[in-house]
Order: sequence, then C-alpha cells, then structure tokens
Amino acid sequence: MTPLTLRLKVRPPCRIDAAPLSPRGLAGKSRTEIERIALGGWNETFAVGALFAVRGEDAGRVVLQGLEGSFLRVGAGLDGGELTVVGQSGDYAGESMTGGAMTVHGDAGDYLGAGMKGGSITCTGNAGAFTGSGRAGELRGMTGGAIVIRGSAGDRTGDRMRRGLVLVEGRVGDYCAARMLAGTIVALGAAGSNPAYLMRRGTVIFADRAVDLLPTFNHSGDGELLAIRLLLQSLARYGPAFKPLARRADRLSRWVGDLGAGGKGEVLVARD
Amino acid sequence: MMQIEGVAIEDTFAEAFGMRATRLVITAASRTWARHAAVAATGFATSVIACGCEAAIERDLAPRETPDGRPGVAVLLFAISTKELQKQLERRTGQCVLTCATTAAYGGIAADAVHEWLGLGRSLRYFGDGFQISKLIDGRRYWRIPVMDGEFVCEDRIGLVKGIGGGNFLILTRDAAAALAAAERAVVAMRRVRNVILPFPGGVVRSGSKVGSKYRTLPASTNEAYCPTLRGLVRSRLPAGVGAVLEIVSDGLDTASIRLAMGAGIRAACERGAERGVAAISAGNYGGKLGPHHFHLREILA
Repeated sequence: MTPLTLRLKVRPPCRIDAAPLSPRGLAGKSRTEIERIALGGWNETFAVGALFAVRGEDAGRVVLQGLEGSFLRVGAGLDGGELTVVGQSGDYAGESMTGGAMTVHGDAGDYLGAGMKGGSITCTGNAGAFTGSGRAGELRGMTGGAIVIRGSAGDRTGDRMRRGLVLVEGRVGDYCAARMLAGTIVALGAAGSNPAYLMRRGTVIFADRAVDLLPTFNHSGDGELLAIRLLLQSLARYGPAFKPLARRADRLSRWVGDLGAGGKGEVLVARD
Repeated sequence: MMQIEGVAIEDTFAEAFGMRATRLVITAASRTWARHAAVAATGFATSVIACGCEAAIERDLAPRETPDGRPGVAVLLFAISTKELQKQLERRTGQCVLTCATTAAYGGIAADAVHEWLGLGRSLRYFGDGFQISKLIDGRRYWRIPVMDGEFVCEDRIGLVKGIGGGNFLILTRDAAAALAAAERAVVAMRRVRNVILPFPGGVVRSGSKVGSKYRTLPASTNEAYCPTLRGLVRSRLPAGVGAVLEIVSDGLDTASIRLAMGAGIRAACERGAERGVAAISAGNYGGKLGPHHFHLREILA
C-alpha cells in the first residue's frame, strides 16, 4: 500500500489548524470522506478536498506535501503511525504528541513539539523558537519523546523542559534550556546567549567549546562520567552526526547550575 | 537398570519448587572489581532456609555483552517471594555493589521476559541525599548516585521472572574422596550452563536436609537416611559399599536450563566410573507432593 498523500494545491488565505490530518484522524476513511474533513481556519472552515489533492491509501503513513507554513498544529496530538511533512510546517507542529513519528522535510515553525509526551520528531531543516517547550502559559515543557533537528533551533529551545531528549545538529539560539526542569538537550553547534538560564535539573551538552556560560554556573570537574557515556552512546541511533560525541565522552567539562535555581542541573561543554 | 560408565542411575526424581528470580549485571573498571562486588553480593546466600535468598555468579560477561561496555559479571538471585527478593536485592546491592569501587548495576532480564519489576535504583537513590540524578536513556531509567570515586550508576528497576529452585542430584560413592572428586567434575560441567547457579559453597552440599526436626524450633535437619555414620542405627538409604554422599543443588530461570545442567553434571560425575568409586546417582524428593517441578533422572539422561 502506498502512503496516504495530501498534496497542497491551493495556498490557503489564512492560518489553518491541521491537527485532524493525522494517521488516527484519517484511518478507515475513504478518499471522499477525507476530502470532506473540515479544517478550522480564521472564521471559516476549509474542506480538505478544496486545499489538497488526495491519493494513496495507507493511513498509517500520512504525507503532507507542499506545506508552506500556513498550517498550524501539524501532527498535534499524534499518538501513532508516521506523519511526514514535505515543505514548511507552521507553528505548534507535533504539539502534545504522545507517540508515533513525525518527520519534517524542511523547516519547522515555533513551538515544535511543545508539550510533547512521547514519540519522535525529526526536522531536516531549522526549527523556530520554543522547540520542546510548553505551550504558551504552561508551567512545564515537553515531558517525553525525542526531537531531532538537523539544522539549527531558535531561541528558548527546551524552555521549561521536564523530560525527554532534544538534539540539535546545528546551533541553538538564546536562552537554550532556560528554566529547564529535567531531561536532556544536546547541541552540536554554537549556542546563543544565556544558555541554561535558571535551569533546575537536567543535562545540557554543548559540543562547541566556545559556549559562554553564565556566572551562576560553577565548574565541577573534567572526569569522565559513566552515565554521560551511556547517554552519548545511545545518541548514535539519532544520526551519524552524534557518533563522534560518544567517542569524546572523556573530553567534557562539567558545570553545575544554575545556582540561582538550586544548582542541580549540569552543563557539559567539550574541551580540548 | 540404567547405568552410565557402570554407575547406577536410580529411578527417581528431583523435586523442585517455584521461586522468584532475577539477574543482576554488575560492571566495573576491571573484571577483578566486578567480581569483588559479585562475590560480596552473593555471599551468605546458599539456602533460603536461613539466608533469605539463594544467589551466585552465573558467568563473567565480556565488555561487549554489558550495557556500558566494561567487564561485568552476571549474578542470579532466587527467593521464595517477590517481597523477599525485593528486600534481598536492595540490601545486597546497597551494601555490596554500591560500596564497591567503580561498579555499576543493571538489570539482566530481557524486557519481554519480565513477569514483574523489582525496584533497585528507585530505593538506593536515597543514599544520594537529594543529590541523586535520574537519567532516562533509551527508555531505561538510571540513577546516578554521587559517591567518593564519582557516581554509582544503577538501573531504576530490574525484571523478575518465575524461576525454579532445588533441582538436585546425589552422588553416592565409596568414600568421601571419591565423592568430592566426582562432585568437582560435575560442578565444572554445570557452571558452563547459562540461566543456572549452584548456590552452595563450591557448588556442592554435604548436609542434605529433611523437612522438620525433633527440635520444635528447627525447620530443617540432617537427612539421616543418607548419613554413612548412621548406618545400622536408622533406616539407611545407602546401598552396601557406599561410604559418602554429596549433593549438587541448582536453581535455574527455567526447567530446560536445569535439565541441561543436571544432565551435564550427572554425566561428568559418572565419567570417573564405578571402578573409581562412584556407585550411584540419586535425587532428593518429598514424594512428589510438595514441589510442582519433577526432574526424573532417567528422563534427563535419556
């Protein structure tokens, strides 16, 4: 069976909630039924058939083709199956998802994987601000699952993150891991200003030596830690870019902080 | 009459019991230090009669077989209830593995075989006094407990399976020296079998017991029918010419592994043959009414 593919044929006049276009939402529906699904927009609804050309039949593998950022909440609440976005996913993609795998072949907007509880998100391009954080106003960010960004991630990556894994192959913006509660963030590229600001617990690993840490972080030591080695070894399956890091588990400096928030977090920075 | 190398195999069976079992994987900076922890953790664990659990080293693990790529040792623990196994696991890991330089402790039961979970790091973490760190790696939760040589890494929970305790056979020989020589050979053969441990010292028991005693407070006492010095005084089970008996007790994660170990052990014990003083192989049972698992010697060797 070929994947159920929805190709955008008309550029919508406003932002549209794309959450219904998930494997679960489309399972067991005929092509006509799918085309009749109403997607909420700004003060009006749009039938799927009016915006997309639908083909294929395997609702377990849904492909949304040609998205250009107008669609919000793509894959929101995803709980199983595969969802592939080709193009640009708008804000709140994969929001509150609990399972399954979402892949964005392109860039993602802000709040990618906000409030995520499980499953995995892979973005081949760049992600916006608040990746893996909570939805606006929530007291904690993602609580499980993994987000892998092949490009760079914006400001406030992993804001208030509670559990789970955020991996960024490129750079992260300002305030990465700010107010982090627990979980793991790894960035292979440079980090912006004020990294791990007010983090309470959790692990942040920067492969870039030049990261400028806040004065509220204390140097704790340079010895290799078994748990960090286990962690780095487990990352190899998220892509070849993370493999060299596992070999450098003994070449990390450990800083503890943020002392302004209890100091039980750790930031590991590559050293020579 | 069944014989191996002239040694009579009695038509009887070993009666074994259901137990709760788990496998703990201990790793360390070197095999020596992993062994130090494993030996300590499995000390005083010969019999559930008074030790709380039966435990022993199952085998050494090569670095490629362990979760952290360091040399390790697999240990099996057996107890009569989940509650008791939980208690023993926690105490033994806390006092003997956590305390041992460079070690880490992981569960060794495959997730799909797990019957229920035992807490490990989730109780030991409190030693960290608030400085402990939890880390979820590949779906498994680990605790990092700060200790003086770095961190003690310990899995949050480890799997329990329904195991079997008390697979046994008796080696009846001309004298004590012949019994020891045959038993040593059996132990070497049986220790090669996975999923099985021989919990007694050196893998061998000399004090075969029966249930109860003439003394009210004692739950078990010597099995006089097999004691050579009591021949002529009690109803002896020793054939003429038998001057010593040693028993080999095995606990296993499944019946197939115990059968494999018993078969290998009996064959090795018989290898020396009747002319070297091995007279017969028997087994201990309670008439078949107490234990659900019966290991018939002749079936195992068939």
